[in-house]
Amino acid sequence: MPKMNLKTLAQTPAGSTVTISHLDSHPDTCNRLREVGFCENATIHLVSSGSSQLICEVCNTRIGLSYTTADAIVVLPSKE
Amino acid sequence: MNSTVQKISLRTIALIGNPNCGKTTLFNELTGLRQKVGNYPGVTVEKKEGKILIGTEEITVLDLPGTYSLSANSLDEKVVTDILFGKIPGTPIPDIVVFVSDATNLERNLYLLSQVIDLKIPTVVALNMYDRIQDTGITIDTAQLRNEFGVPFIPMTASKGAGIKELLSSFENIVSNTDGIRKWKLPDIVRIEHEELVSILVENEKMAESAAFHEAQLLLSTPKDIISFSDEYSGETLTHLQRDHNNLEMNGYNRHSVFVESRFRWTNSVYKNSVRHTAPRHQKTVHDAIDAVLTHHIWGFVIFFALMAVMFQMIFTWAIYPMLLIGSAFDTLAHLISAIIPQGDLQSLITRGIIGGVGAVVTFLPQILFLFLFLGFLEDTGYMARAAFIMDRIMNKVGLHGKSFIPLLSSFACAIPGIMATRTIENPRDRLVTILVAPLMSCSARLPVFSLLIASFIPNILLFGFVSLPAVVLISLYLLGLISALLTARLLKSTVLKGPKPAFIMELPPYRIPTLKNTFIHMWERSLLFLKNAGTIILGVSIVLWFLATYPKMEEGTSSEKLAHSFVGRAGHVIEPVLKPLGFDWKIGIGIISSLLQREVFVGTLGTIYNIEHADEESATLKQQMQKDKDPVTGQPVFSILTALCIMVYYVLAMQCLSTVAVVRRETNGWKWPAAQFVYMTLLAYLGTFITYRVGLWILS
Repeated sequence: MPKMNLKTLAQTPAGSTVTISHLDSHPDTCNRLREVGFCENATIHLVSSGSSQLICEVCNTRIGLSYTTADAIVVLPSKE
Repeated sequence: MNSTVQKISLRTIALIGNPNCGKTTLFNELTGLRQKVGNYPGVTVEKKEGKILIGTEEITVLDLPGTYSLSANSLDEKVVTDILFGKIPGTPIPDIVVFVSDATNLERNLYLLSQVIDLKIPTVVALNMYDRIQDTGITIDTAQLRNEFGVPFIPMTASKGAGIKELLSSFENIVSNTDGIRKWKLPDIVRIEHEELVSILVENEKMAESAAFHEAQLLLSTPKDIISFSDEYSGETLTHLQRDHNNLEMNGYNRHSVFVESRFRWTNSVYKNSVRHTAPRHQKTVHDAIDAVLTHHIWGFVIFFALMAVMFQMIFTWAIYPMLLIGSAFDTLAHLISAIIPQGDLQSLITRGIIGGVGAVVTFLPQILFLFLFLGFLEDTGYMARAAFIMDRIMNKVGLHGKSFIPLLSSFACAIPGIMATRTIENPRDRLVTILVAPLMSCSARLPVFSLLIASFIPNILLFGFVSLPAVVLISLYLLGLISALLTARLLKSTVLKGPKPAFIMELPPYRIPTLKNTFIHMWERSLLFLKNAGTIILGVSIVLWFLATYPKMEEGTSSEKLAHSFVGRAGHVIEPVLKPLGFDWKIGIGIISSLLQREVFVGTLGTIYNIEHADEESATLKQQMQKDKDPVTGQPVFSILTALCIMVYYVLAMQCLSTVAVVRRETNGWKWPAAQFVYMTLLAYLGTFITYRVGLWILS
């Protein structure tokens, strides 16, 4: 069951590569995330995660997110 | 594909693209101008204009702020859409869009490109930073990209001037309106609803097709209530829009995401067909190793504060030597003029008024240059975005996010670019809070005031054998400004400007080695600005002050008695009761009032006043004159360590800058917020200084 593997980006360990399943937040936040590359089906590589923020790579760009924002990104393990 | 072959008449070119892809570097290369560039998103926040000669035609080139989309989420992004849709009076819709894209990061850039192409403005893509694609391990099939988008893709490296000629010659071949290039596809039901709404916007709202095509997507995906558009659209359009929203939702579409997703699906497939990764992706790089340290939740802060400490240490040690040279050059000039011009009012005006005032301020130029050298280094390497990233945790505690830290850090140089940089903040309340607290960050204009007082009254001793006490005092002053800004932001965000905590999304650019050219251009321009201020405002104030401190004349008496008899002396004694609770005498009061326009005038004012007061003595530096100044009534020194600290606390917290007031008025569209800001900062300064003075007296007693 793919749904069993769903978790948020904030719960993903550093070094993993995941695929975005969907975004779960206010539409404004979701649209902003999509426009910077966090679109459904996009692949994300989690570079590092700290105590309240993380750094990931999406569309070949490095982006810093707070955990609150990363919690809005629901991901699946990547096929890559 | 159905293309017309009519050549366009070229008058205006606009540079558009994602943040930090090199638009301003290309703009500078095309126009020969020297607009500020930096390695962090949001350096350009307003439209910049330049000229270029193509053949015999003079063409206007517009450098626009970076944007991720045409949704206009912030004020800087709105500049882009306003220009593309011809909403700025006097600025025509560009004849050609040069879409600047970072060739090493094409994947995300294609999304905005497809939006720009939807507008049917002739477009050329500048694949910038092309020299780096080999290092990144990618190959780009430009012919395939051209095929998909229907526009030319020109490989180039703007920073080295490569590809400029090819870009310019591509303009000559470009033709107007190319049809059939909107290749991305919407699901059928969504497409039909979108097409209907486009027709309604064209017919009812008299919009151009390309504007209606874009607007219909925004309206169909908007999370806002339809009622909020009642001022902009007719009832018929809004009724239709409501029906469209219902239809899409009934058919199971997420109308907020369907447009972005459909577009991304197409651009991703184009990317996969056109760009080949020859090296495996997500490999650990040296950038990862640097980021692991610089953005670490503990080491990140340690390094940030260590860098700040190095900056202040540098300002206080290395800058001293050129400062001494400038100081002695002004002394020599004053002696020369005294030897040429006979004793009298003219000699006094030039040597004591002008050289005393302007010279006292210009002496601090080396320190300001060191400050800009350091900040330029932070901006160009890519560290600025990392500083904002690590500060997000602290900023979040006061209700803002890390993005607000960039304007605050820029305000260390000057509050004006700092306030302008707030245009990148999406949430209007957060932007306003950042504007209101930005002038509390200690800017370069405060540096002469701090340096004069620290050099005169803080003992130059080493702490722990390597950190000088003056540098520690200077860091403390900067920290006082930062902490006051954060506490004020917290107060504003929990009272008058309450709002939800914003989502933090920050692009972290790749690390780059700063170019000497860029750093020196920036330092050169800041020096010119500083010298221009010294040559205009400070010169003007020095002349007026000399007059007010010389007249009305008193025939008999010492220089001090003559000064007390002058207009300045009389005015100073009137305001003295207000300043006495802060431990300030009337001369300091005159310095504070005369520097309401600009902070560094304080140093010029003291330079002029002390030069006139000590006219009958052997020449001495301002520092020496201040150190030996005594209160004529009590016989106590006018300046002590405590007085110096009180003045510095006052200058950390007070507004004292007319240009900042004017910029805040412009950025907030009225006088309400600059007036509130001036009042709160003045009260805060008075209260802060009063507490410092009282606590200081208590400790000394």
